[in-house]
Amino acid sequence: MEPRDIELIRALQREEIFLTRSPFEEAAKILGWELAEVLERATALNEAGIIRRFGAALTPRNAGFKSNSMVVWAIDDSRADEAGSLLSQHPRVSHCYIRPSFEGFPYNVYTMVHGNSPEDLKKIVNELAEIAGTASCRTLDSLKEYKKSSPVYFPKAFEPAGA
Amino acid sequence: MLDAIDKDLLNRIQGDFPISADPYADIGRSLGISADEALSRVQRLVKTGVLRKVGPFFDARKMGYTSTLCAMDVPEDRLDIVASIVSSYPQVTHNYYRAGHPNLWFTVIAESKERIEEILSGISRKSSINPIHNLNAKKMFKVKVDLKVGE
Repeated sequence: MEPRDIELIRALQREEIFLTRSPFEEAAKILGWELAEVLERATALNEAGIIRRFGAALTPRNAGFKSNSMVVWAIDDSRADEAGSLLSQHPRVSHCYIRPSFEGFPYNVYTMVHGNSPEDLKKIVNELAEIAGTASCRTLDSLKEYKKSSPVYFPKAFEPAGA
Repeated sequence: MLDAIDKDLLNRIQGDFPISADPYADIGRSLGISADEALSRVQRLVKTGVLRKVGPFFDARKMGYTSTLCAMDVPEDRLDIVASIVSSYPQVTHNYYRAGHPNLWFTVIAESKERIEEILSGISRKSSINPIHNLNAKKMFKVKVDLKVGE
């Protein structure tokens, strides 16, 4: 990573600038750069995939998806790849990963599933079971959210003094 | 409540916030509203918690970071205290009590696998709970850009 890109990434992580009329102008002010340079570097980071996307993240619960859960699946290792790929294409699946199973927990494919209601979620899980070719799953409902935050990349505090 | 313009706006900006000198004008133009109205709607959607964040979403791995999901089983009567130990690390971004066993699930993002192991050892030591399952993804399928709002 270029030092200037790291500076830009730090500035773009200030979420409050995106709630102003001219977010990239604000970033330019923070950095002491020209607006054109901010737009150019931000576009380059976006095209390089370092920025996965510029956009907005919903709080699913507040956007009409009242029932959200992590659903884990026990799928034969030989079929996990194919099943994961199919599951991830369902419109109500936002994340899908293959992870190691462990003792007492045979589940290896993890999905985040979003429904409008508990009944809707059940219906979707049934659809997913068809797709996955197995009913061997568990819905790990969230009972309490202790923390949900955005990661902070390149925090200033990590820099040596005088840098 | 979300009106039809809110829903269009959410679907418009979830995956594609314009990188431009006047992004709210661009967004407004595509929805048939003014730039100021687009901005004030986004501000309201953030304030009311419909939107969690507007801006860039980074690919942690491409920047040299590594992330993982971890699970541990905590006795019910110690959940709050152990969860606060886990949440105290800035590298922990999500931390949930979930049904079943294990019951405490959290994500860690850090500069290296070694740093993640250090954090997990620290949590284990401070909470006296073993094991902590580090469920490093073997494969990640494309993360969806958006959930279609209003269906």
